[in-house]
Amino acid sequence: MIENNDISNIPEATTAPHKRARFSVIWIIPIIAALVGIGIAVQRFLNEGPTITITFKVAEGIEAGKTFVKYKDVNIGQVTKVSLSEDYSQVVVTAKIAKNAKNLLVKDAKFWIMQPRISLSGVSGIGTLLSGNYIGLEVGKSTEKQRIFTGLDTPPIVANTEPGRQFLLKADNLGSLGFGSPLYYRQLSVGQVIGYDLAKDGKSVDIKVFVNAPYDKYVTTDTRFWQASGIDVSMGANGIVIRTQSLASVLAGGIAFETPPYSPSVKPAADNAVFTLFDNQDAATAKRDMKDDPFMLVFDESIRGLTVGAPLTYLGIEVGEVKKIGLHYDPVAFTFKPYALVSYYEERFSSQLDNIDVAVRDYIRNHPKNNWGNDHQGTQKLIDKGLRAQLRLGNIVTGQLYIALDYFPRAPKVKIDWKKTPPRLPVMPSGLAEFQLKITNILHKIDKIPFDEIGKDTKKAIVTLDETLKEAKKVLGRIDAEIVPEAKTAIESLKRAIAAAERVLVNTDKTMIGPDAPVTQELREALQEITRAARALKVFTEYMDSHPEALITGKTQEKGK
Amino acid sequence: MTAREPMAMPSGFSLCKYCGLLSKITSTHETSYCPRCSHKLAFRRHESIQRTWALIIAAAICYIPANILPVMTSVTLVGAEEDTIIDGVILLYLTGSWHLALIVLIASVMIPMAKLFALAYLLITVQRRSIKSNRERVKLYRLVEFIGRWSMLDVFVISFVVALVQIKPLMAAEPRAGIVFFAAVVVLTIFAAQSFDPRLIWDSDDSMENRND
Repeated sequence: MIENNDISNIPEATTAPHKRARFSVIWIIPIIAALVGIGIAVQRFLNEGPTITITFKVAEGIEAGKTFVKYKDVNIGQVTKVSLSEDYSQVVVTAKIAKNAKNLLVKDAKFWIMQPRISLSGVSGIGTLLSGNYIGLEVGKSTEKQRIFTGLDTPPIVANTEPGRQFLLKADNLGSLGFGSPLYYRQLSVGQVIGYDLAKDGKSVDIKVFVNAPYDKYVTTDTRFWQASGIDVSMGANGIVIRTQSLASVLAGGIAFETPPYSPSVKPAADNAVFTLFDNQDAATAKRDMKDDPFMLVFDESIRGLTVGAPLTYLGIEVGEVKKIGLHYDPVAFTFKPYALVSYYEERFSSQLDNIDVAVRDYIRNHPKNNWGNDHQGTQKLIDKGLRAQLRLGNIVTGQLYIALDYFPRAPKVKIDWKKTPPRLPVMPSGLAEFQLKITNILHKIDKIPFDEIGKDTKKAIVTLDETLKEAKKVLGRIDAEIVPEAKTAIESLKRAIAAAERVLVNTDKTMIGPDAPVTQELREALQEITRAARALKVFTEYMDSHPEALITGKTQEKGK
Repeated sequence: MTAREPMAMPSGFSLCKYCGLLSKITSTHETSYCPRCSHKLAFRRHESIQRTWALIIAAAICYIPANILPVMTSVTLVGAEEDTIIDGVILLYLTGSWHLALIVLIASVMIPMAKLFALAYLLITVQRRSIKSNRERVKLYRLVEFIGRWSMLDVFVISFVVALVQIKPLMAAEPRAGIVFFAAVVVLTIFAAQSFDPRLIWDSDDSMENRND
């Protein structure tokens, strides 16, 4: 307790001068706080990446603040706003991209919405089932910066960075191909269709394909591409041929390619080289760039069954094919005859020769003027030997025809008119007409057979037969009626004979008379009688044996009577 | 009894905080020291207003990043998510626990703000030598001082979550810069409240007219 009077006792504080004008050290704290805050703000600002806008047709599963932009499955940004375009036709997605990823935002970068996709050629984006859809980014090769993009409808099939090369195929129609349809080389999936579009003139389809890196070198300037879609069943003069690639391609379609083994060029094709996409393997491998010699064949007969692509054979070896079929008008004779334009491939012919030197073959190949088509003398020589073209039946079931070059030494001499282009080869009337004629003749002959009369005669014969049978029946009845009682008597007489024989034997026993005695004579007679009886019995039993029913039928007939 | 109640400062007396000796301060131009323990003597907490202002400003600066920056990252199988305090409040509200949302909103957003405003108000009124509603202002000060120790709720929650939710790779939580700033706000306001000398409220009250008892 401090009392008032104690106040005087309160000691005085000691004093010292003020050390300095005060500015409190405490102000360091807000300064530090401000510096840290500003530092963070500056850092944020410096790290601020670019903001991009992507236009999509539909913003499926895209949410502002939740959807990420990913490149190679790494988050590089986030969607900040989803809005509709001014005309409400599209969705404008605004996304903020991390600063370190800003170099990815180049002119040919591609954006698409990654979502689960299931197609015949595979399943993708399964992860998005859990994580939700995201926007995928595919970096481009350009270095030009861009901030406004148009999103793709589907993910790009081949990454820009993937090694490999792109080629352009020209096809008549797309067939069952689509994005991602596989590309096969020796039935190995080596690439994909990465896009297709109508050609500018609308007359063909341009299909972009991508061949993965180690395999792109097998695409040479002479490589053939063909549609390996589904099952290729072809029926020609060669019979039925079924070809497929993998099961996936049967379902989803695909493209196969191959460089024909005879191909002279093995230079790898250039990037974006243009190829023709053939409908099938046959068309692809048969069509060659090699020199072909067209010949015209004018027939005097129907060429029904001959199709474009039918083979041309030389003594059974395929050396060409039918290119075109039509009608030939001969103004002089005023006739319209079917013609076939055939291509003869020198190379196919020479490749079959066993004794030809490789050098010679190359010479032939490199000097197209020396080939058969232009070697007028040589060709004429062969014609003189009887070389003729002939229509032949390739397939008896389908009636497909082919053209055979064969020798007919007895054929009339013909000179080829080389002024005509294409030159016309002499034609031998085919065995077909003859064959048909023969069959017709046979049919005519068959026609002439008087089936009616034969029928009548047969009828008569049958009637006669009927009568005969009836007669036979009667006879049998008679047999029944006459022979059976006869047999009875025969048996009775046999009995008697045996009884007599017994008697005789007894007598013989008793009297023991010699062979010359009258007893013996009696015995002989008795034996003779037995023999007769036995014969009669034999006849009866034989009859009964072969006609056992006679016994019954005969009796019934008798009853009927 | 005079109209004025006897008070230490106007009477020139000061109590040593450390040894309890009451001494008379003779000069205001020089620094006074306790004659017994030689500790510095002051009528009021040393540089109270200036310090409190500094701490409040620092807290206010920290308050901005505390609310803008994410306080926690929750990593789950499907991806990482960074949440600010407001995100947490919205999430709680959207998931149906509006009362929890309210608690977090009050404890983590409104109270620090209220404290800053309250301290700033006290300082301004003291500096303007206001004599109005002194008792209410003291009550406000007591409230600020009392609430201070409860403001670490968010920091506490996040320390727990980060320590407990480490079920890698299914789920994991990590603290982020925001929580540091938030803790700084809380600590700075506690210090600010401590450095404010409530006796200053009464120093302007040279006349007791407004006192009725």
